[in-house]
Amino acid sequence: MQGTELVVKALQDKGVRTIFGYTGGAIMPFLDEVGRQDSIRFIMSRHEQGAAFMAQGLSRGSASSTQPQLGICVATSGPGAMNLVTGVADAGMDSVPLLAITGQVASGVIATDAFQESDVVGVMMPLAKQVYMPLKVEALEETLHEAWYLASTGRGGPVVVDIPKDIQFASAASDYAFDPATYEPDLPGFLYSPHPSPEAIGDAVELLNEARAPVILCGHGVIGSRQGANLQKLAEAADIPIAFTFHGLSAIPVDHPLSLGMVGMHGTVEANRALEHADLLIALGMRFDDRVTGKVAAFCPDAKVIHVDIDPSEIDKIIPASVAVNADLAQALPALIRHPKFLEQKRTDWLQRIDGWRQEMTATLKAEIEKGTGKGGQLLMKTIVSQLSETTQGKDLIVADVGQHQMICARFYNYQTVNSWFSSGGAGTMGCSLPMAIGVKLARPGERVWSVSGDGGFQMNIQELGTVMEYKIDIKILLLNNRFLGMVRQWQTLFFDGHYAGTPMKSPDYGPVAQGYGIPYRKVETVQEIAPALQWAADHDGPCMVEFLCDPSEIVLPMVPAGGSISDMITEVEEGGAS
Amino acid sequence: MSANQAKRHAILAYMQNRPGVLNKVSMLIRRKMYNIDTITICESRRPGISRMTMTLCEEDERKVVQVVKQIAKIPEVIEAKSLETENSFWREVAIIKFNADPDLLKKLAHTYEFEILDHQLSGRYIVQLAGPHQWIDNFVTDLGNDKVLEMARSGFTALEK
Repeated sequence: MQGTELVVKALQDKGVRTIFGYTGGAIMPFLDEVGRQDSIRFIMSRHEQGAAFMAQGLSRGSASSTQPQLGICVATSGPGAMNLVTGVADAGMDSVPLLAITGQVASGVIATDAFQESDVVGVMMPLAKQVYMPLKVEALEETLHEAWYLASTGRGGPVVVDIPKDIQFASAASDYAFDPATYEPDLPGFLYSPHPSPEAIGDAVELLNEARAPVILCGHGVIGSRQGANLQKLAEAADIPIAFTFHGLSAIPVDHPLSLGMVGMHGTVEANRALEHADLLIALGMRFDDRVTGKVAAFCPDAKVIHVDIDPSEIDKIIPASVAVNADLAQALPALIRHPKFLEQKRTDWLQRIDGWRQEMTATLKAEIEKGTGKGGQLLMKTIVSQLSETTQGKDLIVADVGQHQMICARFYNYQTVNSWFSSGGAGTMGCSLPMAIGVKLARPGERVWSVSGDGGFQMNIQELGTVMEYKIDIKILLLNNRFLGMVRQWQTLFFDGHYAGTPMKSPDYGPVAQGYGIPYRKVETVQEIAPALQWAADHDGPCMVEFLCDPSEIVLPMVPAGGSISDMITEVEEGGAS
Repeated sequence: MSANQAKRHAILAYMQNRPGVLNKVSMLIRRKMYNIDTITICESRRPGISRMTMTLCEEDERKVVQVVKQIAKIPEVIEAKSLETENSFWREVAIIKFNADPDLLKKLAHTYEFEILDHQLSGRYIVQLAGPHQWIDNFVTDLGNDKVLEMARSGFTALEK
């Protein structure tokens, strides 16, 4: 069997139906074989970075399914592979399973600076969970299966397989022989311990029972382990409020009475204040990112911490755990709830205190959202996202880019559907939304998908409109155009004396751009037009785009300044600076 | 050197002998900004499994635990643990080329055990010593640093009691 046949057979064995990528000299043999298979659909992006985010979208969108799909992106050697780097790094930061297959120059010319040669293994090594360069055709089958296992087992992550062109062409002495029933990867040192230790669970239950002011920190792991329902059970039984990390959002409906919304730099007042006064944090599948903790030394100084995570290296990395549970939440959460000593209790005083904090910004925000406009009658992003939430009743899937609109989507959309919120969190890669939304739509074809971007990020991967056009991907593109790189502008307003260096930005006329790609387009400039335009997009059969003219002076609040502690949270801003 | 204040730790790891594993460990060290003093790798008694000993000076015990965890996280690494000086032997090999007269060499031979690998009539010696780090340091001091022409030291290898 030829090398490429072995690779494609291995992917088919894993149920692969979609591959994203871009062809080129060194990956031609593989894509030639893919093209001969009816069972696999090849989606050609317009840039390799787009393919990486599309593949991420497929993985992210199906993460909560009982049969998650592993997103695959493919590129040629040299520049093709290098264009995947950001998408691979991004997947690593957000623990997203991803398989990147790159063509390499023929093994005989590796290390000679051959045409389109780059050291893919060397470049990807610090960013990926694992990297391979099989140098024998016989090794392909095992490599692919091991790569798949690593990408999708335990904490998800990107795995790169770099295959020299001659190995793709080579004939293997034996036929494909993989047997899923007997397969065991040869990884004696791979750390994967899904089962919690009974002692740790016992200790955790003791802390839970004693706590007077506990807060659950719901992370991405809750979604990946499909534990939303058990999280809700735990919270309701012991009356514990839930704060969500950026990626923990949509694990359960965000308007649940015990929900505090998102925590951290742009989290809600109630989530941040609750953390500040908590005596116990129950951190579930999260890693205490600096956008959550702010100044680590000042983070929850009085709180004990139960930290449950599948990755043992996350425990004690930033915040020392009082009780560490290195396990899959799918095992740990049921074990906590079913523990014979676990006490159901009411924590009325604590919840009433939190209700006070809930009021802190409610009136201001409500008034702003209702007014809908800022300076010069330009639209407020929070009004647009609130109306989107109403139009969809919070049921649709949201894929945000990076910046102010992203934080506003995290704060003002009423997530009702499990795993309905997608964006680049850890890496904060602008331009992620449009390609990621394509992947999410292919993972969840029966659901409506909205790609929300600012004018900065949208122009970073605008070429993927071509992919939307070619494959008729039914996504609703919302462009919140404020003619600035808004989040940086916000920092300039608050911390750089309003000196807007490198943030004003011109855009093309998006109407003709959309028209050029055959994508129906509308422009919205007044509050009255918002709801009808959103309804039009929701009802339209096929991809479409709505551009909103937004107020560049809108500030996302509250905000915990970088490196500050939660008590430094900014809740109001006067003209020209923070107060 | 910070070694005076910070405690020296040794980390022992067993890893599959696959391409790029050493590269991964050294990249990790740079990426996480760990300050590593020595690193040695050899074959273990199990075929295909390498044995790595790494030493670092670090005051913060939590950081040492993190280094161990991060190394253990590399898929090819089978086991990683921290060795304390109290419960393990740490040894180094040194090959030293120097000029000395026979009297000085005799004097040194009273205090130190070494093997003479080469001896020229000009009074140039190449000797091999194996022992604790400090012991090799002392040998060099007693010999006189100015007499040393070249010195190769292996870095630590360590074994748990």
